[in-house]
Amino acid sequence: MFAYPTVRASFIFLAVALLGLLVADIAITTANPWQDLGRFFLGVATPNFFSTEGLLTALLRTVAFAFVGVTLGSICGFLLALVYRFLPVRIFCAFIRAIHELFWALIFLQFFGFHPLTGVLAIAIPYAGIFAKVYSEILEEADPEPGRLLPPGTSSIAAFLYARIPDCWVQMRTYTAYRLECGLRSSAILGFVGLPTLGFYLESSFSQGLYSDAGAMLILFYVLIATMPLWLRPKLLPVYVLAAPFFLGDGLPIVWGNVERFFTEDIIPSPIRDGEGLAAIWAWLSDVLITEALPGIWNTVVLTQIALVATGILSLLAFPLISNHFGGPVRRTSGHVFLVIARSTPEYILAYILLQLWGPSMLPAVVALALHNGGIIGHLIGRQTNTIHLRPDAPVGFSRYSWELVPRIYRSFLAFLFYRWEIIMRETAILGILGIYTLGFYVDSAIQNIQFDRAMVLILITALLNIGVDALGRFIRRKLALQTMPTC
Amino acid sequence: MSGFDFNGLTASFDGERVIGPLSFRINEGEHVGLVGKSGAGKSTLIRLLYDRLDGKASLVPQGLGLVNALPVFHNVFMGQLDQHGTWYNTLTLIRPFRRDKDAIRALLTELGIPEKLWIPAAALSGGQRQRVAIARALYRQAPTLLADEPISALDGPMAQQVMTMLTNQFTTSIVALHDVEMALAHCTRIIGIQDGQIALDQPASELTAADISVLY
Amino acid sequence: MAISNLRKWLATGLLSLAAATTVQADTFVFTAIPDEDETKLVERFRGVADYLQEQLDVEVRYIPVKSYAAAVSAFRNNQVQLAWFGGLSGVQARRLVPGSEAIAQGVEDEAFETYFIANTSTGIQPADSLDELEDELRGKTFTFGSKGSTSGRLMPEFYIRDVFNEAPDSLFSRVGFSGNHTRTLRLVEAGTYEVGALNFQVWEKELENGNIDTDAVQVIWRTPTYPDYQWTIRGDVDERFGDGFKQKMTEALLNLDDPALLESFPRSGFIPASNDDYEPIRATAENIGILD
Repeated sequence: MFAYPTVRASFIFLAVALLGLLVADIAITTANPWQDLGRFFLGVATPNFFSTEGLLTALLRTVAFAFVGVTLGSICGFLLALVYRFLPVRIFCAFIRAIHELFWALIFLQFFGFHPLTGVLAIAIPYAGIFAKVYSEILEEADPEPGRLLPPGTSSIAAFLYARIPDCWVQMRTYTAYRLECGLRSSAILGFVGLPTLGFYLESSFSQGLYSDAGAMLILFYVLIATMPLWLRPKLLPVYVLAAPFFLGDGLPIVWGNVERFFTEDIIPSPIRDGEGLAAIWAWLSDVLITEALPGIWNTVVLTQIALVATGILSLLAFPLISNHFGGPVRRTSGHVFLVIARSTPEYILAYILLQLWGPSMLPAVVALALHNGGIIGHLIGRQTNTIHLRPDAPVGFSRYSWELVPRIYRSFLAFLFYRWEIIMRETAILGILGIYTLGFYVDSAIQNIQFDRAMVLILITALLNIGVDALGRFIRRKLALQTMPTC
Repeated sequence: MSGFDFNGLTASFDGERVIGPLSFRINEGEHVGLVGKSGAGKSTLIRLLYDRLDGKASLVPQGLGLVNALPVFHNVFMGQLDQHGTWYNTLTLIRPFRRDKDAIRALLTELGIPEKLWIPAAALSGGQRQRVAIARALYRQAPTLLADEPISALDGPMAQQVMTMLTNQFTTSIVALHDVEMALAHCTRIIGIQDGQIALDQPASELTAADISVLY
Repeated sequence: MAISNLRKWLATGLLSLAAATTVQADTFVFTAIPDEDETKLVERFRGVADYLQEQLDVEVRYIPVKSYAAAVSAFRNNQVQLAWFGGLSGVQARRLVPGSEAIAQGVEDEAFETYFIANTSTGIQPADSLDELEDELRGKTFTFGSKGSTSGRLMPEFYIRDVFNEAPDSLFSRVGFSGNHTRTLRLVEAGTYEVGALNFQVWEKELENGNIDTDAVQVIWRTPTYPDYQWTIRGDVDERFGDGFKQKMTEALLNLDDPALLESFPRSGFIPASNDDYEPIRATAENIGILD
């Protein structure tokens, strides 16, 4: 079995994760974790929809920020996709998507403050980078033949509109709709840093132990996402997009002087700002690197590797829940519900909930990342198994699972997993804001201490780390000849 | 008399020569039938000739090259994208002009599929798709036609009619055909290809089906 | 049709960009550091907003924020003109906004304290001086409040470093930041952390209201006193809201005597304050490296 490169790769990653477990901080520190968990589920079971007067407004704002952010991101991403073949553009896009929405929000908060633009750009910028990459991949895969047949002298715009776009349109639309769902999640968690979306109230309710209020918000959020096919009609889309900017709220006016100050003073490393010379700059930089960046990188990498393998294991365990090859309709329906909840809940919110319940360690983060990402991959490969036709006398039960299905889906499973590697790392870094010592913790600390120069260096390092993992993931996928579609 | 001189045509796949080197001249007004067994290099030759002409010919490739998501109208209209400005073309995507609609509907009527005008190409049968590609080539109104098995999916009478239309509209044509009878009936000159070389090149009037069968 | 949808998308997208930049009328806005449960903060500061609006004859709005730094940034960015800061956040804010002034503090803020609290399952008994507790504290889990808090972070960290001569994360097995004082109390009460440090006023008020399970958590040490919370106002408010506005604001705050409002802070009243009162806080913050 070790002759297969995919199996070898799997075991190498498994071994790395096991080594990671040895050095990782995994513990439940709460005295009564199960009692709290019980109270939480009781809260979800007895939701209180009338607790916060602002709940409906928050829901509306969540949708509005998602719409405006994703629309802006998709337009910019589309334009970037047209010039994506140029290396600088590719690097630029890799860079802007390597920085998480929450980091962008924390940056914009420093100079736009509580203006709607903060939330809109926090979504639009990283999404533009992602859209650029995926759109350009879709456009590249379009059949080139119709374009070759056009009469010479056809303008390139007309050629593009006739011979390229129509064949990509459906795929681009599907992907954009999927991204809008992601946008709703991103928009919701922006509330955790103070924007007026769902996360704002969710955080308050949770931290005060008002689990019925929090339960109501989570339920509303699931309903919002689960009913998307019902209310997200192509005909209504222009209405939504037009109306969304008017539901972002007023926030507070932008003071433009702050923007200039941020770029010309705040983020300039303090020794340069104070003109202290090269030695001081070096001392400053090495202090940031040694006391913050290195421990941050170490924890981020360890946590990412553990979470990646946990995600893989959970996906493999979860896909039979929705597979036609096992169980009856009742079990499949409940399986679907479980996976929808797992993948609809942003990992940030899951991690936040689990941290409250189990106390601080890497464990809540690992479980949150594994649940969310495992829910997504489990759903995708579960659906894939439904297209497999087994011979009538195929074995049943565990043998069917291990002999018939897993070998068939294993390659696409790995493809999805490596595709999500970078996404898991991005999230891991951001979970530091919740108090786990990954890079996000140090970024948040620097911002709390009003040291934006340090924060920027750490955000840059986080971005480079993500770009590195993205490249490594692509390299491995190429080495193992794994193919994946971008809608993952 | 004008025409085209093709010199030193060659093509290779994976380092293996599949065409040529070969040279020949096509005179204006000639309708050439390319014959030979499959794999002889006809498709490659058609593609080479299209490149040599810098795309200044109507081409019906074997794969047809239709945009599946677009309706038949737009697939045909693409033959004249160079005739209009970008705005005209863009508007046509959203709301076609009556003039173009009438012209294309007339063309489709001749080809027996007028009712398919607004049907996406993806929803058509093989024969219908082939006729859309032919309509696009006709609509382009280039003087020269390059076609690779343009009637392979059409039934007898329709195949005859299409060949007649093609030879009538285009001053000069080079059409790869596997149907020898059809080639003899509609072409003025037959070029036989064998192993990437010209194995036969004579006026159609001097040939019979038996003469050509040695190529197969 | 497909393409017409695309064009609609493009057009509407551009419109939304234009609409996203609306500006509003000149309102006096203030904020406060989120040191306690948010519901309580909103309730408390809406009361203050109503009071100030009545006294000053301008529209006054309170906006809640999610972190201490957000309060400082909003103040610095002139999106809020007044803030109820802690000692440290006030020092940070005034350093960043030249001309801004501490104008009032609570009566209790002259001599503020931090309580170290412990879950009773640890068996740690109250002590008069911190160094007596070294053996008991070593290896325990410990939580501060917010990273930017004076009573929840700065002063406890200062005393830990001062007394034990080592960093908190080498003394304790695990160091966390709960986010605010109420949460510190709840986390130590629940045993999530064994030891914590919090604002003594929050403890006293929760105790008085019967919200603390004294069988589960108790105070084990009290810090010496230090200056803490204060109202800080920007220096340019007179230009924007009229001459003498700062003076009127100061008087309004000092004259605030509504018992219910004061109780919600909880403070017995407000007294004048100055930037110099917070010099000790600045020195301490520089000492432990929070301020450059």
